[in-house]
Amino acid sequence: MGRAVAIIGVGQTRHGRRMDVSYPDLVREAVLRVFEDTGLSPRDIDGVVSGTMPSMMEGIALTHFYFSEAMQAVGKPILKTETCGSTGVSIAHTAYYWVASGLADLVLAVGHEKMNEGNSQATMTTVVEPFYQRYFISGAPGVFSMQSQMWTARYGIPEDKIRDAAAFISVTHHDSAFDNPYAHVKIKVTAEDVKTARVITYPIRLLDVCPNSDGACAVIFASEKMAKKIGRKAAWVKGVGYRGEEYFFGDSDKVVWESAIQAARQAYDQAGIKNPRKELDVAEVYNPFTYQEMLFYECFGFCDFGTSPDLVLKGTFSRKGSLPCDPSGGTLCTNPIGATGLIRVAEAAMQVTGKAGDHQVPGAKLALAHAMGGVDQFNGIMILGSKL
Amino acid sequence: MSKEYRTLKTEIHLPYELAYGATWTRFFEGLKEMKIFGTKCKKCERVLVPARSFCPRCFVDTDEWVEVKQEGTLVAWCYTNYRYFGMPTEPPFIGALIRLDGTDVNLLHLLGGFDLGDFANTVKIVKNGMKLKAVWSEERKGHIMDIRYFKPL
Amino acid sequence: MTKKVAIVAVAQNAGAESKDNFYDEAYRVTKEVLDKAGMTRDEIGSVVSASSDVFHGGISCANAYYWDPTGAFLKNASRQDGESLFALIYAAMRIITGHFDTVLVIGLCKGSENPELDACTLMYSDPFYLRPLGLTETMAAALQMKLYMEKYKIRKEQCAKVAVKNLGNALRNPFAHRKGRYTVEDILKSDTVVDPLTELQCAPKSEGMIALLLASEKKAKKLTDKPVWIRGFGSSIDAYMIGDRDLLDGQLKNAAARAYKMAGIRNPLKQIDLAEITEPYAFQELMWYEQLGFCKAGGGGKLIDKGFTDMDGALPVNPSGGVLANNPYVSRGLQRAAEAFLQIRGEAGERQVKKKVRTALAHGVHGFAGQCHAVAILGS
Repeated sequence: MGRAVAIIGVGQTRHGRRMDVSYPDLVREAVLRVFEDTGLSPRDIDGVVSGTMPSMMEGIALTHFYFSEAMQAVGKPILKTETCGSTGVSIAHTAYYWVASGLADLVLAVGHEKMNEGNSQATMTTVVEPFYQRYFISGAPGVFSMQSQMWTARYGIPEDKIRDAAAFISVTHHDSAFDNPYAHVKIKVTAEDVKTARVITYPIRLLDVCPNSDGACAVIFASEKMAKKIGRKAAWVKGVGYRGEEYFFGDSDKVVWESAIQAARQAYDQAGIKNPRKELDVAEVYNPFTYQEMLFYECFGFCDFGTSPDLVLKGTFSRKGSLPCDPSGGTLCTNPIGATGLIRVAEAAMQVTGKAGDHQVPGAKLALAHAMGGVDQFNGIMILGSKL
Repeated sequence: MSKEYRTLKTEIHLPYELAYGATWTRFFEGLKEMKIFGTKCKKCERVLVPARSFCPRCFVDTDEWVEVKQEGTLVAWCYTNYRYFGMPTEPPFIGALIRLDGTDVNLLHLLGGFDLGDFANTVKIVKNGMKLKAVWSEERKGHIMDIRYFKPL
Repeated sequence: MTKKVAIVAVAQNAGAESKDNFYDEAYRVTKEVLDKAGMTRDEIGSVVSASSDVFHGGISCANAYYWDPTGAFLKNASRQDGESLFALIYAAMRIITGHFDTVLVIGLCKGSENPELDACTLMYSDPFYLRPLGLTETMAAALQMKLYMEKYKIRKEQCAKVAVKNLGNALRNPFAHRKGRYTVEDILKSDTVVDPLTELQCAPKSEGMIALLLASEKKAKKLTDKPVWIRGFGSSIDAYMIGDRDLLDGQLKNAAARAYKMAGIRNPLKQIDLAEITEPYAFQELMWYEQLGFCKAGGGGKLIDKGFTDMDGALPVNPSGGVLANNPYVSRGLQRAAEAFLQIRGEAGERQVKKKVRTALAHGVHGFAGQCHAVAILGS
């Protein structure tokens, strides 16, 4: 369906609190790195797609205007994709469709965010309309807390088990961040630290949630012809999937979460994956909240509904487990929202091309990347593989 | 630690004026009269609340209005006690998903009617599945907060 | 093009202010285009919308809000931030890959709910340098207009003629917001906004939900016996720093060249029958004539003097009244494509041009002094 498309290089900024650079310079840092990584120059690029969170985040609208020079997009065809938190994967999809359609051989995808320049919770509140829901949705933590409650009640998961599993995940990812030179939060935590951290929205505590990060990510997508010509190890796009549900938070079941389930299924179908738990070698799941991360494992078919906490505690999804999830430390340790979904894609690409350095999952050949957006509304998936 | 340079503090204010339209005007006017309206989809027969002009799944007009019961069941809740710029509701407050009797989707609103300042106490009182009832504000203006909160029965 | 894409149906709502709820309006326009195409919501492959938070009631992640009314429930859908002609381009790509047979493309903007356009376009300015100076699209256009008039000896009357033509054309367009029979003097005597731009030379703030249904070749032929083919498209973005740019030689040429190449257009003057272009400031229509290759640089004034681009001219431009008549900001490029569609199918009612339209050009632009352009070529 369409031509074969590969990722031939990635670039990330050192994510974190980056008040040392202006926003355009932050974007440029990632773009310079992807050109270094691939050995290509801006002149080689046929088109650019960029995306970020809404204008309220940094107070600038239609940022592709502002970053035209920083992305080296001047004089080039351009697209600007935005789908809230799922933007990073939507940008990757845009680049994929662009190359797959035959209309470009090399497309540069750039996701970026500078959250320390704005107020993220106030911004996210503007996603919710002011007639009705805005009075009740107190930023992201409240939403995920409610989703978690519905899930644990549905499957009778005891509160202390889920608390232990969430803490396990937090410890695992915070550890992994030390092996990722780009990750933001690098702190040593114990399960006890996680369980006694400050409450954000019960039962979610500080170490169960992502930070506000500044960061950018740039990825170059190539046609088969170009990938072969350039001759570097390529991460082939094997499948893409995306779904969205109703806007009103109360309208759909967020446990048997159809947008997540069907987005994954669409990507698996295209990739020919029948047993994701066995066939995937690594998954970079969009995981701003430890509790929600476990529900994603179930929605993506890594295990049956209601069983992920047990498997988490057994180490199934840890670095040395049978399906390592977020060996980069994930969104939990690094979340520059407009870039985050694209970072999941970049990390998946790094894994299947053996370029993930200290957090490499040995022998990884097939990887899943994911991003979620809106108030639990959107889910997008990209599957990458080492073979065409 | 790399050098940090100056920062610029700035705020943006932009005025908007959003139209209610026919359906939401009727819904919000209903709140003034202490009525909660939903609309029923003639295809899937779901009752949606707040009232909608169409069903997002069947994609047909939903013009059958239903006055919905004001009692329901708690599906999920979140105790919020932090602040951010421009927050419309003063913390601490409890956001909640509530399945009103006879409806097919959850309504988002607040819990109240007990001391919210004491979190430990809240956890004792609030349990998913518990029965709730709408409590109305004395002064009603056709606003979602005409329902002051839902209190445990 | 390896795979052909067609537009099979369009729907739009009126540009004058409406008291209707945004959400409900989006539903009605979506339903209308589906009904016209003879399709149900379930059958649609994908939805690509266009909107932009500051132009969207201050409700951000815009497509989250109107996901339901645009029929996207449990679909693989996406969104372009800003000018909607880019959504047309992205939707066409999705069909060309073979992943989708049909894509609903919709641009959404309800001007009456938003602050003045310049309060919004000020938000493109970086906060350190350009914003305190107050650079908006209008100020940038005024600078560009002065340079244009000086370099090519364009007269203010020639710029005003664009407004006379377009606002006059709009009298025949039921969807237009602003319309009227004006003289050149009326245009020039209207209030000065930013000299030399007067009010009637600047686009109003309108409403517009414009929906197009795109289909693959095979599907299009099943849905309609008059598919309008998307023969080619292209886009290009200029530098951001306004002082670095040549405001008289921007990126429209590149965007058009890409579209022409894809569509096999070697001589635009001969091969294009009609153009719907985005002219938020009257003088820009003259500049766009030149950069689209309808005449040489600086020749725009002569073209309008000759009546070349009138309704009954050799190459009608903006028979709909263009953006000076109707400016639902983000939706305006897609509206140009919708108008071009209607002209090709002979369904433009009173504003239908007399000559046979086989090939039409649609154009969208946003950003300071036309920083970012998109062009599409449609044909029967």
